[in-house]
Formats: sequence, structure tokens, C-alpha cells
Amino acid sequence: MKLVTVTIDGIKTEAEDRTPLVQVAQKVGVKIPTLCHHPLVEPYGVCRICTVEVHMRGRVRLVTACNYPVTNGIEVFTQTDRVRRTRKLILEWLLARCGHVPLLNTMAGEYGITEPRFGRGDDTCILCGLCVRVCSDVVGANVLGFFNRGTTRYVGTPYDEPSDKCIACGACAEVCPTGCITIDDEAEQIRGELPLGPMTAIYIPTMQAVPHQPVIDYDSCIHFKTDACRVCATVCEAKAIDHGQQDRHEEIQVGSIVVATGFQPVDAQKVPQYGYGRYPNVFTALQVEHMVNASGPNNGQVLLKDGSTPKAVGIIHCVGSRDKNTHEYCSRVCCMYSLKLAHLVHERSGAKIYNFYIDMRSAGKGYEEFYNHLLEEGCEFIRGRVAEVSDWAVTPMETDKLVIRVEDTLAGLVRRIPVDMVVLSTGLEAREDADDVRRMFNMSCSSEGWFLERHPKLAPVSTFTDGVFIAGCAQGPKDIPDTVAQAGAAAAEAMALIDTGQVELEAYTAWITEERCSGCQICVPLCPFSAIEFNKEKKVSTLNEALCKGCGTCVAACPSHAAQQHHFTDAQIMAEIEGVLVR
Amino acid sequence: MATTTIPVTTAFEPRIVAFFCNWCTYTASDLAGTARLAYEPNAPVIRVMCSGRIDPQFVLKALQEGADGVLIGGCHPGDCHYQEGNYKTLRRFRLLKRILTQFGVDDARVRLEWISASEGDRVQHVINEMTDQLRTLGPWHARN
Amino acid sequence: MAYRSHVLVCAGTGCVSCGSYELGAAIEGEIAKRDLAGEVQLVRTGCQGFCAEGPVLIVQPDEVFYCGLKKSDVPTLVEEHLLKGRPVTRLMYTPPAAPAPVPTLSQIPFFAKQKLVVLRNRGLIDPERIEDYIARDGYAALAKALGDMTPEQIIQEIKLSGLRGRGGGGFPAGVKWATCRQAAIHRGVEPIVVCNADEGDPGAFMDRSIIESDPHSVIEGMVIGARAIGAQQGFVYIRHEYPIARERLAKALDQARAFGLLGRGILGTKFDFDISVVQGAGAFVCGESTALMASLEGRVGEPRAKYIHTVEYGYKNLPTNLNNVETWANVPLIINRGAAWFTAMGTGDVSDNPWNGSSGTKVFSLVGKVNNTGLIEVPMGITLREIIFEIGGGIPRGRAFKAVQTGGPSGGCLPAAHLDMPVDFDSLTAAGSMMGSGGMIVMDDQTCMVDVARYFIAFLTEESCGKCIPCREGLRCSLDVLTRITEGKGDEGDIALLEEMGGVMQDACLCALGSSAPNPVISTLRYFRDEYDAHIRDHTCPAGVCKALIHYEIDQAKCDGCHACVTACSTGAITGQVKYPHLLNQDLCIKCGACVDACKREAVLRA
Repeated sequence: MKLVTVTIDGIKTEAEDRTPLVQVAQKVGVKIPTLCHHPLVEPYGVCRICTVEVHMRGRVRLVTACNYPVTNGIEVFTQTDRVRRTRKLILEWLLARCGHVPLLNTMAGEYGITEPRFGRGDDTCILCGLCVRVCSDVVGANVLGFFNRGTTRYVGTPYDEPSDKCIACGACAEVCPTGCITIDDEAEQIRGELPLGPMTAIYIPTMQAVPHQPVIDYDSCIHFKTDACRVCATVCEAKAIDHGQQDRHEEIQVGSIVVATGFQPVDAQKVPQYGYGRYPNVFTALQVEHMVNASGPNNGQVLLKDGSTPKAVGIIHCVGSRDKNTHEYCSRVCCMYSLKLAHLVHERSGAKIYNFYIDMRSAGKGYEEFYNHLLEEGCEFIRGRVAEVSDWAVTPMETDKLVIRVEDTLAGLVRRIPVDMVVLSTGLEAREDADDVRRMFNMSCSSEGWFLERHPKLAPVSTFTDGVFIAGCAQGPKDIPDTVAQAGAAAAEAMALIDTGQVELEAYTAWITEERCSGCQICVPLCPFSAIEFNKEKKVSTLNEALCKGCGTCVAACPSHAAQQHHFTDAQIMAEIEGVLVR
Repeated sequence: MATTTIPVTTAFEPRIVAFFCNWCTYTASDLAGTARLAYEPNAPVIRVMCSGRIDPQFVLKALQEGADGVLIGGCHPGDCHYQEGNYKTLRRFRLLKRILTQFGVDDARVRLEWISASEGDRVQHVINEMTDQLRTLGPWHARN
Repeated sequence: MAYRSHVLVCAGTGCVSCGSYELGAAIEGEIAKRDLAGEVQLVRTGCQGFCAEGPVLIVQPDEVFYCGLKKSDVPTLVEEHLLKGRPVTRLMYTPPAAPAPVPTLSQIPFFAKQKLVVLRNRGLIDPERIEDYIARDGYAALAKALGDMTPEQIIQEIKLSGLRGRGGGGFPAGVKWATCRQAAIHRGVEPIVVCNADEGDPGAFMDRSIIESDPHSVIEGMVIGARAIGAQQGFVYIRHEYPIARERLAKALDQARAFGLLGRGILGTKFDFDISVVQGAGAFVCGESTALMASLEGRVGEPRAKYIHTVEYGYKNLPTNLNNVETWANVPLIINRGAAWFTAMGTGDVSDNPWNGSSGTKVFSLVGKVNNTGLIEVPMGITLREIIFEIGGGIPRGRAFKAVQTGGPSGGCLPAAHLDMPVDFDSLTAAGSMMGSGGMIVMDDQTCMVDVARYFIAFLTEESCGKCIPCREGLRCSLDVLTRITEGKGDEGDIALLEEMGGVMQDACLCALGSSAPNPVISTLRYFRDEYDAHIRDHTCPAGVCKALIHYEIDQAKCDGCHACVTACSTGAITGQVKYPHLLNQDLCIKCGACVDACKREAVLRA
């Protein structure tokens, strides 16, 4: 590594021979403007904005800093009159082509351009080539290229047709300095989802994640689609990124399991009359929750899809709950979170809030008081199940609004309430895969798909399978305090099981009387728990009580009644049959 | 609250012996109870741990002792608390039915139902239906 | 067999397009008919240079030059000159304003004043026969270089000769070769030699003629160069629009290989070197060395920054030595006759430093408003006046000389004041033009200098690769300004604007196409400022070219109503009765000038 001395604007520094000048300048804090430069791709040297003066052995040259290799003894001047004159004219030329690009206008201001002499064109692409280079060098998809030459040069795809090689990674939109390239999320326009998930393929799951380390989403990661990119690995100083990691299947032997797989929100599209997915300003409560969060899409402001502030907001309770068409049960938490959102939305936007409820379920400490507080705040509560949300205006007041049609049961009228924004308080339901999960743990589901507890009052956290416990919304809709309490209970029971140091066997295990056994071995393959083994010497089957779960299948099959089940012997059951049929 | 009128007549009332597996069908009948679902009282329940415990001899014994019908209740296939017990039950039941038919036992008299722990209403339905059917069919004259 | 006479018919592209192939066939037929086949040989040679007068031929050893021939002249020519020994005067060349035809080459000023070095075999050999080339000392230099000289000695000889690049850059070839060789040795890789035959300058055809007339001179030069540099692979990048040159080059390469002068084990030594021919695809910018190499690699022909030189990292990142066709063609002679012979021609003293002068000769394509248009080769240092007026025969139709444009789109226009300037690299550059590849366009007083500047800017706007902003946008904006000026819509600040844009383009463009693009504008502004002023302030075009600023009128006094102009006019703008003075309707006139040409009474005036 040969070091050379370079002086930039009077600052002397050392750098490796042939380093691009712009990097050396960056190191000493001298700012040189660039447009077509990006640290991730090879320098292209086409915008010429980074032109600087280089003095060397009495010779003066104007060169582009992004790709000029430094040599020993050069003196660089980045703000001479000649340089500034050059940059000013380059900006005027650019504005003649792309006159309304904010970035160019900002730069133009720095060089004293108020009225560009060649006018302002309407193009937005400055032909910097960043998108082309990122797509081919970093992403490896090779979708974009330059076509034609001279003034007709443009960036596009082969044959100007949408390319099937484009993986919609968004890298081109990300590096484009003018905002000329945009990514259109077509699904977003249909479903109106606010971005709730991560924005990049490598991301830290949440602010509270433990460990607080990023993970890579295999399905979005460019490297797994094109074998290129790996920009994350390039910038990681600790060299901690390994794309070659494979899934590891580990077998862990445990003594007890707590299943706390939670719930999923009811899909608001299952209640189509409320317009979710059809009208842009119908949101689910979870989306509004995200919106009012300070780290959300609007930094905590409550805004309509077009960016304006709503003046009236309607919150519809019991969406997907207490409904024969979706779920008959009450989801328990919606009333309280609806009140919370009513309060927050009013606080953030000053909008008039309407709550449409069937019953107000604000049980427990402080909740009824909160409800009263809202009444005092001016929140209007209308008791009635909302019939529909529509955008048909019948009166001038309803124009451009969403109209909520509801029977106000206390007033005895059918009312039409125009609002700007509708919030659907969606209920909780069992997860889609609940059936698969419960089979894995040998549990049952109750109606509506929640996991079945051993006893609704006396054993809420254990299941019919010893050692498997359930907690939280997997067992049934509940709020956070209840979930936490139940979690503690499940943990305690799980611990208790381990702590005992002993395992209680079922009382109703089977046994085999050796003398009666004929060695037919019918019972051996029947046992799902492999509790029966055939003793080749004695030529009889033997049963391991520790493994036996007490199903009795072997007993029913044994032709010689050698196998019997404690508490369920043939004699006992026969006696029961007789007893039941006594006249 | 639903009530059922118990016929105070000397009309024929069928007697059904129900063998319910502990985890699913027995729990379901418990659920029917807590939900106050009324059903015919004609089917006293004998609890076994798994429907796989049910020896075909139990069915024969029940019929011999005067039962007009036998109901076997177990977990849905795939959901057996002991993995596979209900499959054994199914096999045995099929073979048993063939023999019973040869004995002249009507098809409706011996019945296998899969009822899961949350299906309390199904317990109600099955018992009511079976009772109704057997009323029409009349008694099973085993002793005769 | 010894022939008593050779008929050397020019088969350069210019004459071919005038029918010289058919002419040659007719002569052969006539020779056979007259039973002269054993005495007279027809040879098809490369371009003989006098392109304005084609088809041409020379009869040797009489040295008689015939021009403007038609097939119907053939029987007379064969009978009179070849059979009876009486040259046919009416088929000879008559210089303008001369009383009588001039029969022989050495008497015709066009030929007499030239010094043929690169074009030494012009008009004498059949370019499709390697034997002809060898007979005229061809490949002797190669034998000497391979047999008697080390690579370092070859490079030294080229250095001493002061040979400077003939493609426009004027960079000393010997220095370039030395740097390339060093880079290859230092990096432990094999270098590449390339011949730039892209010749994109409008009106330039020097390289084309060299390859069409004497392809072996280029090949021999490249083999010697490869030997000196240590290359085993070479390319000729020739533009797509030169089919005849490509064909003759391909034939020459095949013949060279057959003769063991190219390929494996050249002349029986262990030296291997071969040349591939790669075609261009219609882009002027591919004449630029980095764009050319990109095109060779199969990538889009776009230039890159030259902070890292191509002699170090060029084609496929190997050290690459690129020289122009004419440069390569000089090499065999320098090796054969020595550097001292070469430096005896030209200007300055290059013995210590090749930058100090311009040695050797230069081939120019002399075109435009000059009587003798064609291909010439003159020693460096000859004056513009000699070229234009003695060799060129002066301005036709008695008009006045106005300017001469050298160096193509990268060069500039020089006015009459510079007519006595010696033509060499440095003088031209100092005067605001440049040597370029050798295009020389003569302009008379009917040429509008603003229009000339606009023409070159328009050409470059079209040919710009479009990569960098100063070239792409700067040319477009400059074109807008110049177009406005030629349309009479110029503003006071336009000239300052052109100068400012020109300055920035020179400073900031990525490649030489862009940075030299302002030259025509800047040189015309320097010498013909008054024309710009006339366009902007007075809304007139003194040369009468810019259509928006001229109009035609019929002089009622001179017009005799012959109706010729009406016939010539395509828009029906002229009306009138026969025998009565006619009238021109300005609204319909498209300023094509056809009426001016048609009128025999000079009654159509241009104002």
C-alpha cells in the first residue's frame, strides 16, 4: 500500500495511491457536490458536477473528483471561480432538461441561479445512471439500461416492455436522486394497508427485540433472488452477516410446554358492508393504533389517505364479534381499545368522535371512569349496530364523506352520520393454523377454535395432555392484564411439574398377566406409545407401565384377556353395563 | 330454559348404552350439560379412557342384557388423545357390524359417532335422533 | 513477361462510383480486341488522389494522366495512345484558367507539389496483389525489424523519427509504444495493438484511401509495432461504411498470412502475431480511443475517463497501443530508410523532443470550394496557400477565398490572413484550429461561417454519446443558440453565451469529442466575429446562405422573360408571361436557389 500526500483546499492529508479524490475529500471533511455518485457502485463520472481544479507540477487541470485517482503531491481546489462557473452552467443545463426537480433547484440556489438561462424543462430523469448501475452491479437483475445516444438517450427496459426479470426490490427508486423512479404497490392501493411490517429485507424486528440484532427475510432478500447485492455484508464493519446460514432443526427434550400462540385480528373484509378495502379511509383499529404511534407512518398524526386531517371520525364496535355471521362471542378487549382510540384520535386531530356500540363493556378498575371521561370530552356514543358504511351522499352535508347508517336504539331513529374516517374495532379470533398447532401438542380446541383448557374455572391453564399448558389469547380473547396473569399461572404450573422431580403416572395404566399371555403379539403393534415389547425368551408380551398412557386399546384386542386396564377391567365395564340396564 | 317432557306413558322407551371416550365425547356431553342442552334421558353413559378400549364383547353384552341400542362415541379421526385408538375402534366396529347384521340387528341400533370435546350440541343431536329412531324400531328382543 | 505499357485505372471508391470498374472492363475488352493483351497490362490501383476528375487513369511509362473518362472514350484512347502512341489531348486534364491541357503528372501542379510517402504506391500497384507491394520494397522493413533489430531499437528509431499520431492527437508514437511495452512488462501481461480506422470526420477519406490503395503498408506497420511492443494480438477497427476498404484489407490479410508475414512464426521466427478486423456500427464517437475499445469488447461504444491511460489499461484492461491508419503506414518507411530521412521532412527539430516539431508528411483530403478536390500528401511545413492555390488550383468560378477548415468537428476555421502559415501540428493549434485527421475544407465568400459553426455543432449533437451533461446538454443549448442566430432571432448576449458554454465544455466534458466540440464556434468567433454581428444585429447573412435572412429578387431590368426560372421553381413562386419580366412571390419562395442557377441572364439577385 503506497501512501501519497494530497492537499485539498489547503488541508494536507495522506491517502493510498490512486484512491478516488472524492473519498479523500470526504475523509478530511471537504464537501464536493455529486449527482451521479453513490458509494455502492463504481464511479461513472457523467454529471461533472464534482469537477475540481487539480494543480500538479505547474499544470492546472479540471477533473472529476469521483473517479480521479490521487497521485503524490497534487493540490486540489474545490471552490475556485473556474470550478464554480463550471458547476453553475452544468446546473443550468440540467434545469433546461429537468427544471422542476427539487434537488437540482436546491443546488442551483447554492450557485446563485434564480432564473436559469435555458428555461426549465419538464423531464425528471437526469440520466445519472445510478439506477442502471445499481440494478446491474448490486442487485444483479440487469433490468435497466441506457438506450439511444445523445439528446435522445433515455433509461428503460429492453424493448420498452415491462421486464420479467425485475424483482421489484426498489433499489432503483431508492438511489434515484430526483425521485423520478417510484415504486407502485398495487396491492396497497387495493387493500389500503399501512406499512405495518419492516421496510427492508434486513431489519431489526422491533425496538424491544431481544437480542437487538437484525434478521434477514429470505423472501425479500435480493441476494437470494439474483445471487448479487450483499450490500449489508459490504457495509458491516464487524463482518457479522452470513447469507449462507441454513435452517437448523434442533431437538430439545423438555418436560413441559407452554403454548401461547395468541390470536389474529378478524379480517375486516369479512364484514363487507363496512367498506374496508373499498373506501380508502376505512381503517382497522390496528392500523389506527399504528398511525397514532410516534414511530408510525405519520409520526403520530392522524391523517386521511390524502394527507388531510379528519374532522369527524366514527368508531364501529363489534366488527366480527357478537355476530352470528362471523363470531358469536364477545372479543372482550374492543370496547376499551375503542375508547382509548377515541380519546387519542380526538387529542391528535381535534375531530368529532362517534362511537357505535351495542353494549359498553368497561369492567374493572378505572375503565368505567375512563368511559365517563370520554362522555365529558364530547365523544358521542350511539347505541346500535351499524348497518352499513357508504359514500352515497343524500344531502349536501354528506358529499365527499363516508356515511354511517345506524339505528340509534336509544333515540329510536335510523340515523345517517357523515364522517371523514371510519375505524373498525375488529375482534379477536383463533389463529388460522390453530387446528394444526393443537394436533401437534395433542390438545383439543373448543368451539370457535380457541385451545381447550382442562377446566374453564378450576384449571384454566392446563390441557388434557399432561405437561402441555396454554396461556394468553390462544385460550380465549382477553386483554393484557389477564394474559400476563395467565402467563404467570402457566409458567408456575409448568415449573411445578418440573420441580416435583417426579412424574405422576395415570392411574389407569394397563398390565399384562404373564401366565395368561399366549404370545400372539397382537397387542405389540397396537400401542402408539411403544409400551409393549415381546420378550423372546419367555415368549410373552411385557408392558412398561411408565410408557403406558392408559388408552386400553391393547386390552380390547387381547384374545386371552391377559391384558387388562386398571379401573377399566373387563369385569368392571361388564358390571357397569349390567348396572345401567337394570330394570 | 329448555325443558323436555318426559312421556308418562307405558309406551315403549328405548334403552341405549353409550360408551363415551373420556377426552372428547364425554367432555362434550359435559359441555352439553353446562350449556343446558336438553336431550333424551335414554342413554346412560359408560366412560372409557379411549374408544379403543371398547371390546366388541361389550356391545354384545349390552344387547344381551336388554339394551335396545348401543352408541359408541370417540374423537374424530386424527384427534384421538392416544393417537390411533379410534382407528382401531373403527376397524372393530366395521367387522362387528357385519356380524350383527347376520344376527338380525338393525343398522340403527349400533352406532359409532365421532364427537369432539366442543361439540356438545352434537351429543344432544345424536342421542335425540337415535332415541327417536329406536322408538320407531321398537325393542330388541335379545333375551327372546 | 515484360509489358511495354501499363494502364493504371484508379479503383478508389470515388472513381468506382463514377464507373471505373466498367471503364476498366471496357479497356481490357478493347485491348484484347486490338490484340494488345501481351503488350499492355491493365492494373486497377487504389485512389490516385484526383477525385474531382474521376474516373482517372495513368498510362505508364509515359506518365500521361487522363481524367473524366467515359466508356465511349475507350476505343479512341486505345487506338490513339496505346496503339499509335499518340496521347489523346482532349481526354487530358486542363487546369482552371489554363490555355491548354497538361499531359503528364509531373507537370500537373496537383501532383507535382505533393510528396508521396505514405501514398508512395498510389497509382502504381494493385492493392489486391501482395506481389506488387513486395516488388516496391514491401515487407523489407519487417524483415529488417525482425532480423536485425531488437524491440527496443525499433522503438528508439520511431522515437527519433519524431513520428506523431496522425489521427488528430499528435502524440509521439515512439513514446506511446515505449509506455505500452513498459506497462506490459511491469504487469506481466501481453499488450494489444489496435489500428483506428473509424475515420468519422465528415469529408475525411484519408484512411479509407490508404486501406483501399495500399493495405499492406498498414499491416506491415502493425506487425513491426507488435514486435516492438511485444503484442501477439492486433485489431483493426474499421467503420462499417467502408465496404471496399474492408474487402481489400481482408484480402491483404489473407495474402500476408499465406506468405508467412502474419500469423504464427512470422518470417520463420518465433514471433506470432495476427490481426482481426472488427466493424464499427455507425457511431462517430467510436473513433475516440476508449469508446473504440469498449466497442471492441462488445460493449456499448461510450468513452470513459482517461485518468487511467489505455496504454496501461485498455482493451480488456490490457496495455493497449492504439494508432491511426496513417501512423501505422508511416512505420515501414521509417524503419527502412531511417529516422534521419524522416526528420529531413517537416518542421522543427525533433531530435531531442518529438513535441518540438512535426516531421514527415501528412495526407489531407482537400475538399470544398476548391478546383482540385481530392487526396493529397504534402510535407509538414507546406503553407496553406500552396495547398489551396497551387495544388488545389484555387477557388472555382473566380470567387474569393474566405476560410479553410481543418481538423473536422474538433478543428477550426482559419481566414485568409493565415494563408502563409506552415501546416504542422503546433502552428495550427496556436492559430485556433488543429491538424486533426487531415480533413481540409476550403470555403469561399459564399460560405456562411455561422452556418459552418452550426453545421458542426449539429453534427456533434447527433453523434454525442450522451453520457456526460456538458456535451449532451451543452451541445443542444449551443445548437439552439446558433440556430436562432441563423434564423435572425439572435440576441445581444448570444455570443457571450456561446463563449461561456464553449469554455465550460472544454473544461468539463468527459472525452475529447465534447471538449473539442466548441472549437469551430470559438475559431469562427475569433476570425469572423463581424459575420455573427451581422446576423444578430443587422439580421443579414453576408454570404447569402442563411435562408431566413436572405431573399431572392428578379431584377426587372435584366429579366427577359425566358421562363427558365419558372420551370426550375418547385413551388410556383415565380410568375410571369413569356418575354416579359417575371415576378417572384416571397411568400411561396423556399430559398432553394434553383432559379439563380437556371437564370442565364443573372437576373435573379440574392439579397
